[in-house]
Amino acid sequence: MAVRAARPGLLFGWQDGSRPEDVVKICGLSLGTAIEGVVMGVPMEPEALLGDQERALECMVAAVEAAGPLDAVGLGSLCAVVAGRGEALAERVSAPVSNGGAATAWALLENTIAVLDRVGRSRPVAVLGARGPVGGAVAALLAAEGVEVRVDHARAGRGLDVHRATSPEAAVADCRVVVGAATTGAMVQASALSPDAVVIDVAIPGTVVGRKPTGVQILAGEAVTLPADWQRGIWGWMYHVLAGYGPSQVFACLVEPLVLALSDRSTPFSQGRTLAPEQVRAFGDSARALGFQPRLATGWRAFPLARIPAAIPGPSAAG
Amino acid sequence: MTIAVQVDSEIWTKVQDAFAIALGLEEDEVTPEARLIDDLGAESLDFLDIVFRLERAFDIKIPRGGIEAEAREGMDEDIYEVEGVLTAAGLAKLTELMPEVPAEELREGLRVSEIPDLFRVATFYNIVVVLLEQKERESVSVLTTAAEERAVV
Repeated sequence: MAVRAARPGLLFGWQDGSRPEDVVKICGLSLGTAIEGVVMGVPMEPEALLGDQERALECMVAAVEAAGPLDAVGLGSLCAVVAGRGEALAERVSAPVSNGGAATAWALLENTIAVLDRVGRSRPVAVLGARGPVGGAVAALLAAEGVEVRVDHARAGRGLDVHRATSPEAAVADCRVVVGAATTGAMVQASALSPDAVVIDVAIPGTVVGRKPTGVQILAGEAVTLPADWQRGIWGWMYHVLAGYGPSQVFACLVEPLVLALSDRSTPFSQGRTLAPEQVRAFGDSARALGFQPRLATGWRAFPLARIPAAIPGPSAAG
Repeated sequence: MTIAVQVDSEIWTKVQDAFAIALGLEEDEVTPEARLIDDLGAESLDFLDIVFRLERAFDIKIPRGGIEAEAREGMDEDIYEVEGVLTAAGLAKLTELMPEVPAEELREGLRVSEIPDLFRVATFYNIVVVLLEQKERESVSVLTTAAEERAVV
């Protein structure tokens, strides 16, 4: 619901004194004639949103009311992490409220599997942020695929057959594929990564801190392509660009309420802290049927898998 | 473990509930001395959720960065920390504000960024107790002022 970059106030002149009634319709979206959506902005700057969650909740309620009758509500950016990650809003509105976690986890999982299909599965995959809902679900789903998973905390991945490292640095050591799923980033120094690491990241700010070594790839893990019948108009196009999606993709969380509304579910795919692997699978099945496809990206562009070396050549035996 | 002179069981039960729900834990896993990050597996956004649930449960407002902000209060930046490392004065202030943290953890060389690693469930219990006392004082003060105004009229 709120834009990803969480800086709409800079555009609309919102200040800390803005009232919940100052919610604004940013743009409309539609998927052919099947469904229409509206992106609403709440009148709070990030610091205020995190510091006064009750007020943030009032703004979100006002935004839902201003949007009109709805079949589903999706939360984006900081709206998705405050006020019980959708739970408190769900108590106040009649439509199911989804916080985008299932969509993010699905895109991240699919992108990770695509990279693993390219580079092989001989080395473990590190999942950073596995204590959180998205990281936890992705770790579980990768483990279910038979992938050797390393998580970054002794308390992460409870009930899963995964290796629990004592720190993010220990988790990523020698891993070719690193999944950055922490709810806030800046988890690991670039120097701790394997020189051929591929980091698939959904954290904001990014997972890796420091100067990226030449052989390391850091890719956005939550982009999805737009189906042919995706319509957004000029304001929608501007929103996509300003919010950091670019002209030809969106981040998965924006798609979740559309998929939810079309799936005839009365319960959300993701709400609160819990995200069961089955919810991620259910979301993925529905999203794919509607034409959404995850893709690896750098900035606004798709990142071709062919640019990832299938294997780093070993040192030459010749002198 | 020092969390307060006497634990108020009504307050403690609500604190325990808030942690258990926010972190998806059994209530008996939430003990006063449990460290949020190392023992309970909390991540940074869980802190937001815990604060939200405590604010609702007790009708209080927990200031963002409360403990650290209070520790810094009245101190110049370089008296509290130097290049991210707490000074002796900074450590002394934190020791005073977080009696529930064992002294050996408030060690020389502690970085400001490591302070959240020290947080116990008792840290939040203590914050709640302090804020409830503050709220009580304010409500008494409002009542007293109203009574005085009525007397003047």
